[in-house]
Amino acid sequence: MNGEIEMDNKGRNSPVLVIGAGIAGTEASLLLANAGRKVYLVEKASYIGGNVIKFEEVFPNMECATCMIAPKQQELLQNENIKLLRLSQVEAVSGSLGDFTVKVRKKASYVNSENCLGCSECFDPCPVEVDNEFEEGLSKRKAIYIPCAGALPNVPVIDIENCLRFKGQECQLCQEACMLEAIDYTQQDEELEIKVGAIIIATGFKSFDPAGISQYGYKKFDNVYSAMEVERLLASNGPTQGEVILKNGEPPKSVAIIHCVGREEKGYCSSVCCMASLKVSRFMKNKLPDVRITQFYPDLCIPGKTYQKFYKEVKESGVEFIRAEVTEVSESGKETVVKYKSDEGKEGTLTVDMVILNPALEPQADSSELANILNIPQSKDGFFSEKEPDLTSVATIQDGIFIAGCAQSPKDITETVAEAEATVGRILSLSR
Amino acid sequence: MAKKIGVYVCECGTNIADKVGIDKVLAAVSPLKDVEVAERYKLLCSGDGQKYLKQSIEEHNLTHLVVAACSPKQHELTFMNVCEQAGLNPYLFQLVNIREQCAWVTPDGEDATNKAIRQIRAAISRVRYHAALEKKEVECSPDVLVIGGGIAGIKASQVLAAPDRKVYLVEKTSSLGGKVRIFSKLFTNMESGFNLIEQELQSLVENENIEVLTESEVEEILGFLGNFEVKVVKKAEDKELNFNVGAVVLATGFELFDAKGLPQYGYGRLDDVYTSLEFEEMNISDGPTKGKILLKNGKPPESVAIIHCVGREEKGYCSKVCCLYSLKFDRMLKSQLPGVKISHFYSDLCVPGKSYQKFYEDTKKIGVTFVRSAKTEVSGNEKGLTIKYKTEAGSKGDSAADMVILLPAMENSGDAQKFAEMLKIPLDEKNFFVEEHRLLSPVASAVEGIFVIGCAQGPQNISESIVQSEAAAGKILSILVPGKKLELEAKTSEISESFCTGCKTCIDVCPYGAITFDEARKISVVNEVLCHGCGNCAAACPSGAAKLKHFTFPQIYQELAGVLR
Amino acid sequence: MEEGFTPKIVGFLCNWCSYNAADLAGAAKLEVPSSLSVIRVMCSGRVDPVLAATALLRGADGVLIAGCHPGDCHYREGNYYARRRFALLKETLETLGLDSNRLMLAWISASEGRRFGEVTNEFAKQIREMGPNPMKQKTSL
Repeated sequence: MNGEIEMDNKGRNSPVLVIGAGIAGTEASLLLANAGRKVYLVEKASYIGGNVIKFEEVFPNMECATCMIAPKQQELLQNENIKLLRLSQVEAVSGSLGDFTVKVRKKASYVNSENCLGCSECFDPCPVEVDNEFEEGLSKRKAIYIPCAGALPNVPVIDIENCLRFKGQECQLCQEACMLEAIDYTQQDEELEIKVGAIIIATGFKSFDPAGISQYGYKKFDNVYSAMEVERLLASNGPTQGEVILKNGEPPKSVAIIHCVGREEKGYCSSVCCMASLKVSRFMKNKLPDVRITQFYPDLCIPGKTYQKFYKEVKESGVEFIRAEVTEVSESGKETVVKYKSDEGKEGTLTVDMVILNPALEPQADSSELANILNIPQSKDGFFSEKEPDLTSVATIQDGIFIAGCAQSPKDITETVAEAEATVGRILSLSR
Repeated sequence: MAKKIGVYVCECGTNIADKVGIDKVLAAVSPLKDVEVAERYKLLCSGDGQKYLKQSIEEHNLTHLVVAACSPKQHELTFMNVCEQAGLNPYLFQLVNIREQCAWVTPDGEDATNKAIRQIRAAISRVRYHAALEKKEVECSPDVLVIGGGIAGIKASQVLAAPDRKVYLVEKTSSLGGKVRIFSKLFTNMESGFNLIEQELQSLVENENIEVLTESEVEEILGFLGNFEVKVVKKAEDKELNFNVGAVVLATGFELFDAKGLPQYGYGRLDDVYTSLEFEEMNISDGPTKGKILLKNGKPPESVAIIHCVGREEKGYCSKVCCLYSLKFDRMLKSQLPGVKISHFYSDLCVPGKSYQKFYEDTKKIGVTFVRSAKTEVSGNEKGLTIKYKTEAGSKGDSAADMVILLPAMENSGDAQKFAEMLKIPLDEKNFFVEEHRLLSPVASAVEGIFVIGCAQGPQNISESIVQSEAAAGKILSILVPGKKLELEAKTSEISESFCTGCKTCIDVCPYGAITFDEARKISVVNEVLCHGCGNCAAACPSGAAKLKHFTFPQIYQELAGVLR
Repeated sequence: MEEGFTPKIVGFLCNWCSYNAADLAGAAKLEVPSSLSVIRVMCSGRVDPVLAATALLRGADGVLIAGCHPGDCHYREGNYYARRRFALLKETLETLGLDSNRLMLAWISASEGRRFGEVTNEFAKQIREMGPNPMKQKTSL
């Protein structure tokens, strides 16, 4: 169905476009919807939750992230004021505050969400297996899939780049397995035009690829992992059901956690990785009480009223902290060797079973495209620029367009949610 | 009135029908007491299914509805809507989960069928005891009280104020602007804090919807979300003001840790050891030194030592902003005294985010030294000050300086305890106000309708404080809409006056402080505005007076009896 | 069909965490004992010790109370009270001559579908080994 989504009201109580259904987008959407505003929530991926749902536990209270936002996600999916457009991206924006016209391209999922019940019978018969991006490549998925157990909405999509049928071969095994006629190969991408009064950019972050820095041996050595991969290993709905095991099937006895991977290259501090490393240490020690963990870092960034206490507790649990720069990660037989140079110039090596790299947080790969479409400047690293740095991080030079979360600058969940709420404060107070 | 229960079993395509013997289920439940009709349907949640259900309810004049289908998480709301459309109170309905928790988890068909029968039978027993519940609404005031006239309070007032929403901004001193007013420069744009405040105040003063009350203090706040009764005293005039608001925003700011408590830094004992705020005051253009950076002897310093983390160990947290404003100090010093030597003594550099590291690196370039020190001490004699430091590895060193600037920890203001008691919002062990939820609700306090923003909530910089002001506004603007009433949760607790013995156990266990004691009638009373419906009071009540609507003891007991029969 | 006698197990699941986990176990098509009957409550803190005791006295062979992990309670502290009541109830059951192992308290978070399966299967196995509830013959419905 090509065409317009009915515009409800203009001006004072106009609909709002939220780009990105991660924690910031979710929070903003719900707050706006509860205030009676209509929200178009555009999400590029097939699932909602962004990065936060990949974390089993989040600092500082070690809460289960999925449980924490599950009620919010359910509310989001059932709220009449929120229209979720998944597999969608903003293609063009014109107009101004109070009267933006937005063109959205909604990719076909090839699954009819009205008919689909989320029974997952269509996965088994699919003959195609590819790396599961959500699981950081640590497990496989089919060409028709949902990214992980519990991902919402519970409606699969067909990855047409890997699906045999869409590559020209005869195959309709998924359709044959579906008892509800929910699979529709004839579904088309849609071009939608929506009219909104304000826009919130909440596109989040991605991790810097450590493979770009050869001294860390990422993708060279089996036992060198990135932080995101470890989050999935630790997750009970992840590729190993929460068991921390290396590629050889054994749990690690010793782990080195390396901070600031990519910090020098990017030129900024990603704000949350020190805490994330501490969280991972704590979580790992819970699962493997005898594991020996050593952290390599130049500066410890643990600002605010709760983080230092967390650090102290992790330190007291026996995790070692070495203030040093890691100069090389190499392999020696089955073990991995970390060579480092301390802050005061001393050199040393540490042999471990597992190395975890904490890469910098970056804006999404398509941020520049979106910035151009919205006419918003970016920092040299691609973060969306706020109008008045030092005064408020949520307003941009375009009236009516706001930013929240890591799309603006790396930050933790607390600050992200505060920003999401702040954009809503700005928008709801605009209509006066 | 005779009950007429309708039981509908959804096939859910093949998801339920393939495993559960639905005809057998219908045969088992049809003869039960009060069951008027028992039918099966292919897909009840579909458009057609909902239409069919509505028609059936109307046709059979049903008084209660039981649907056996998927999880209530999926479609409870859907079927409640169908009830409403059919003229049936949506709470006279029970959804039985025979998909996720029966068909999908029970391999043997006979077992699955028996389980389904059991759960449906239990639901029928339960639903007989359901009461028709109505969603209540209550009047509320859209106005807001903002306590504290610093940057956070000022910004919050501006975002909130509107012709249909008045904001009362109460400030205990004679002028607005808080700490930011005395900062001659702000990081990272190095613009004047004083000018920023002046600009903000101009638009504030012009705003007819903001009533500014300086030299005033809040004496008492009673009530709850939507209906707070406020008493303010204007100290100078000894006048009392009473007004109603719907929400309260606390923005009382910070104080600095008293460095006198740490003798190793020589503060208060040695000349020319200053705190950061004292250094800021020195730079005020019409201040005591007319903006000139001078030592006590009237001469400008030739070398300055800046000591980080003063009181950090004692307080147990990092105050977040000091590393950054110390870089600001570097620039201010170099700007006025280009030849000055500056050394920082610090343990960890805290420069998070996309721009602060560059600010640090650029500042370093103007000729500033950074010494990583695990332990720093200041001593002095007639020649000047000496900074003795020890690194983490143990090596020692010392450095001479004319002036020392200490960066003390940021603490909650001295009023914190007073407001904690007045508003009944807890303080954590670090003496900052506790949020409703650390991650998901950072500006709301434990009490609904009361928000805490800025440094009263935790150490943070100006931008973050402003974001929090806007965030509190976002929450308030979405709950308290002028002209609209507050919609309340229907499944709240209620306490029977006749059964209540006044033991107050329920008051103790309520996580939301939603229960108060009525001294006149000597019973506990639930405030439905604050009740979240957890049922803790009902479980704790020794006399059975406290009941959680829709989860009463008889209702749960009937369900229990149904599964155990 | 299960081996031995078929026990009757009642599970009080809290709406926000354990009920969700049970649904997730369903979505993953794990096996959950058919002897388990689920009663949904909003919070594990709603579970009155009287309810749990009544279940055991009225024919349940085992009673499971499942809530959010400490610190994760949707209503802040409800599960802490559940823990306290459970501890007291366990002791009381012993004095009533009932094996308190027939009562179980578990923390199961919303994403722990697999754990829900493990906990319920383990508990059902335990109850089958313990045999029928001796109180059942005297006071069952």
